[in-house]
Amino acid sequence: MRYLLLSSLLLITGCTSVYKGLQPATGDVHCIEQFRPRFANTLYSTQVDVLKHHLSGLLFFKQMPDSSLRVVFANEMGFKFFDFEFTKEGGFVKHYMLPEMDKKAVVKTLRGDFELALLRPDLQQATIKRDSLYQYIVVPAAKGNNYYITDTMCTQLMHIEKSSRRKPVVKAWLSNYKAGIPDSIEIRHQQFKFNISLQRVQK
Amino acid sequence: MRRWILLLGCIICMIHTQAQTAGYKAVQDAATFKQQFAKASQATQSIQCDFVQEKNLSMLSDKIISKGKFWFRKDNKVKMEYLTPSYYLLVMNGRDIKTKDGQKESHVSTKGNKLFEQINKITVDCVQGNVLNNTDFKTTILENAQNYLLELTPVNKALSQYFKSIHLLVDKKDYSVSTIQMYETGGDDTSISFLHKQLNITIPDAVFAVK
Repeated sequence: MRYLLLSSLLLITGCTSVYKGLQPATGDVHCIEQFRPRFANTLYSTQVDVLKHHLSGLLFFKQMPDSSLRVVFANEMGFKFFDFEFTKEGGFVKHYMLPEMDKKAVVKTLRGDFELALLRPDLQQATIKRDSLYQYIVVPAAKGNNYYITDTMCTQLMHIEKSSRRKPVVKAWLSNYKAGIPDSIEIRHQQFKFNISLQRVQK
Repeated sequence: MRRWILLLGCIICMIHTQAQTAGYKAVQDAATFKQQFAKASQATQSIQCDFVQEKNLSMLSDKIISKGKFWFRKDNKVKMEYLTPSYYLLVMNGRDIKTKDGQKESHVSTKGNKLFEQINKITVDCVQGNVLNNTDFKTTILENAQNYLLELTPVNKALSQYFKSIHLLVDKKDYSVSTIQMYETGGDDTSISFLHKQLNITIPDAVFAVK
């Protein structure tokens, strides 16, 4: 009986959403748009750790004349890993992917990760929640929500969480903004080792 | 990592090269060139120089320029240290390879790895002046008044997946490679120019330490 109770308790707590304690609040969901990186022609020193693999190189963001954004990642010797386009309308085009990496799941994961960091969510269905410390702009996604977490006055972006219904699956930090561009971007998956780390360098 | 090494193998070839096809014609005396190129390569015991790398992103009409230092010592020691826009180190010492970026240092051995052994072969062939006999490439030799241009077209499937061609520009004065241009299948290209070359100076073992 004791084990049954313990198991039931674990099952209940295991199914509890970490976002359960958030309270609905009012405010302007569009306030997070101020944190959208204003990439023009921006270069980052980049490290990617996927399971046991480590890649490093330069990641280049370029705003194109048609307002789409190109993201190109190449190693230090110029050998290209991928070239993605994020269109103005929210679309995605894979212009190039290294054949050895060109798997549907890899492309989908990278797309999702960069979309999170580009901070271009559709805010039509967004709501606001709060806890005692932070404000959460909650944007419904296909399998959960994206949480854009700021201070209570929405003057500082703490981090972003892509979540399942119960817990975060990806976290992203954009920090040390200069002229609208973060000096550092970190993206960390919570359920397996897949980390992307960007540090801005002068082109 | 493998692609890195693959490129490195090609770069060794560059230690004696540079390229642009316009204005070049087929070499008149290929046999003499091959002989002189091999002779000069054999006489080169070490190289220390700066390099400038230019990555041309054709679709973006933009380029990324990197700079650093290069060392080579016979028989098979190579070091490339990227200093801008970010730090990156690659050391190849026989079968041992070390890389280091802003976050991590890695060590790899080519022992027992077919691809790495193939790359090692390319490297050694270049250094010893036998690159023209390497069956992984179909080679065309061109020339103008100042330079020889070696157009290397991969016939090996692994190489041709990444490169349309690799051009090496060889200075007629000393048969040393001054620039390499790697043309990717996707339309981009990367050139590496070697500057301020110092040949046959003493380079200590510590420069190529991989442990």
